[in-house]
Amino acid sequence: MERQGIHELSAAYALHALDSDEERAFEEHLAHCDECREHVAAFQETAAAMAYDGGPAAPPAALRGRILAEARSERPKVVQLGERRRWAFPATAGVAAAAACAALALGIWSLSLSSSLSDERAALDRAEQTVSVLAQADATRIPLSGAEGMLVVNRSGEAWLVVSGLEEAPSDQTYEAWILRDGDAVPAGLFHGGGSRTIVKLSREVPEGAAVAVTLERAGGVDQPTQEPVFTSAQTA
Amino acid sequence: MTAVLAFRGRRKARRSMVRGLAHLSDEALVALVARADAEALAELYDRFGGVAYGLALRIVRDPSLAEDAVQEGFLTVWRSASRFVAERAKASTWILTLVHRRAVDLVRREQPRRAEPLAATPQPTVEDTEEQAWLHLQRDRVQEALQRLPDKQREALELAYYGGFTQSELADRLGEPLGTIKSRMFSGLARLRELLTEGGLERDPWNARESTS
Repeated sequence: MERQGIHELSAAYALHALDSDEERAFEEHLAHCDECREHVAAFQETAAAMAYDGGPAAPPAALRGRILAEARSERPKVVQLGERRRWAFPATAGVAAAAACAALALGIWSLSLSSSLSDERAALDRAEQTVSVLAQADATRIPLSGAEGMLVVNRSGEAWLVVSGLEEAPSDQTYEAWILRDGDAVPAGLFHGGGSRTIVKLSREVPEGAAVAVTLERAGGVDQPTQEPVFTSAQTA
Repeated sequence: MTAVLAFRGRRKARRSMVRGLAHLSDEALVALVARADAEALAELYDRFGGVAYGLALRIVRDPSLAEDAVQEGFLTVWRSASRFVAERAKASTWILTLVHRRAVDLVRREQPRRAEPLAATPQPTVEDTEEQAWLHLQRDRVQEALQRLPDKQREALELAYYGGFTQSELADRLGEPLGTIKSRMFSGLARLRELLTEGGLERDPWNARESTS
């Protein structure tokens, strides 16, 4: 009973809704309860999603500079090499990775590398088109399993994958989208991930009763998937 | 080749392309912040500052207190980035959690300010349309999920998260036993999590493919 009681507190803790003495006690408990730590992590993610409910507000322009000035003025915290975390994903940084991405993507940020104004304009037009489709009320939003985000399909079957926090593909690999229908997988485009979020227009329309899956394949892509999917969508209606 | 729109705004893209930060994941940026990289902190602020400020404003209802909450939240990111464990949480969760806690602490200190939590109102903001489209989708998703919760669960979650009320304050306010509020908060947040994460995969299309090919 006591144990159940403590577990229940993980939700209130994630919402920062414990009274301060209770919060202290729960934090002590957390230090040696893996299960509660997992609950808290999951609940904090859900609670943080609630932050998006109200929509953003533009902070005063000076705030950014003030935060950065304050951060710079503080003595940088020295991180010993032995303590440095190993990240689960490769290619977290580096010029080579940036260049590889730029070559791969017709994306917004790659165009900042290219000097051609007409490329830039074309990419921006494409971005605006995408945005207007995503905002259309009659576009269907289909949930993903294995990644945070959705598949957005408009009336004519054009489809976009909108994925949050997709790790950048290793430089010798690429994400490949597949349209799954009647037991077949048809390639629907390559992309590279990375950044805060990725929005990819699929190269093929998504028909009714199909689903979309994404695998990580060797650079250049393949004709049929060779890997298990990184994520999949539910079937379209 | 598929058109890939890595959704950074045009202006922001420029700024961060100076050092090529735009393609980095949020978690990779936190790793740079842990090495005292202020530009990485700036990029995180560009990604989440608007949402963080919108949240803080809703909780504290005062622009200068909201700024304080955002500033303290991001400075906590700066100071404690080396303790962030990417395997355990998303960077966005961590940042928004820090800002939320600061905002709630501030509103508790300013007790008299507290009344009903502000209803979510659309905030004209970011000039950048891609950002807006993304936030619009996120917002719809969360609002749909919240609407599907039983009323009492939604009420408890909203008063706690946006109103900054503790469980025992909620019990007093709603005239219900503390135990009831505790279970309601737990089941409400668990249900919200299901609603936000459910894939809706009744039949697994991937395995259907493998079994027929």
